[in-house]
Amino acid sequence: MSEKREGFEAEALIHLDGLYGLALRFTGGDDAAAQDLVQDTMLKAYRAWDNFQSGTNCRAWLTTILRNTFINDLRRTQKRPVPVEFDEVAERPIYPQLQGTDPEGRFFERIVDEEVIRAIEELPEDFRVPVVLADLEGLGYQEISELLEIPVGTVKSRLFRARRRLQQRLYSYAVEMGYIRRGE
Amino acid sequence: MTDDQRPPGQGVDRGGGSAAGGALGCEDAMKSVFEYLDGELPPNYSERVRRHIEMCKRCYPYFNFEQAFLDYLHDRGVKPARSDRLEERLRTLLGEVDTEEAEGCD
Repeated sequence: MSEKREGFEAEALIHLDGLYGLALRFTGGDDAAAQDLVQDTMLKAYRAWDNFQSGTNCRAWLTTILRNTFINDLRRTQKRPVPVEFDEVAERPIYPQLQGTDPEGRFFERIVDEEVIRAIEELPEDFRVPVVLADLEGLGYQEISELLEIPVGTVKSRLFRARRRLQQRLYSYAVEMGYIRRGE
Repeated sequence: MTDDQRPPGQGVDRGGGSAAGGALGCEDAMKSVFEYLDGELPPNYSERVRRHIEMCKRCYPYFNFEQAFLDYLHDRGVKPARSDRLEERLRTLLGEVDTEEAEGCD
């Protein structure tokens, strides 16, 4: 095995599972698309491996390649955006229903990981991608606006609506599972 | 309904309005909840929100609740996933790149 390949396996390939998990969030749980995305990312990284400075944050570098690859593909293939219908109930805050019984949101901790992951993956793409970038990757509004080529105000409103939808979805799940009682 | 029972966002604006730079009311603070927690407000406005929630019995727990939700999303939203098929395919493709590059050197 070449020295390059050994270095890549030791520093980059160990992040495969983490990248694949992130790719699944980006693609909304589309497994084939997520695998293609990780494959493209890893091949780009391997071809550019000579430029990578060993010992620096390889995970962050790979994540940046993955994110940029996803967004470039998105721009290339994006059809006319499908307007997401405004659903007032789905986007209401849940706190008023919980302030008497669980004001600290302890019920979140009882929800299994798979459910929050499913909730994110099932968001419409226009909402899901800003959530992945902001809430999972920690990017700021300006950076997201530049990446997605949408105004900062749109980033803000999509994040706001997406988070409300996620809350409502997790709240309904918790009620269904008997973790909390539906509030008035 | 007392102030303590009123849901957040429906409070009485107790002080000075939002534009003048004085004390913020509940409604203005609530509108900015995610921008505040995301650290996206201009510093002066962020400081006014901070001062409001520190003093407000209704907004303080509400902001904590939304922070707990964002922390939860961040902690639970990304979970590594395993695919042996992907790893196998990738190793084959890396081998092909090795061959391509070795041939390119000849």
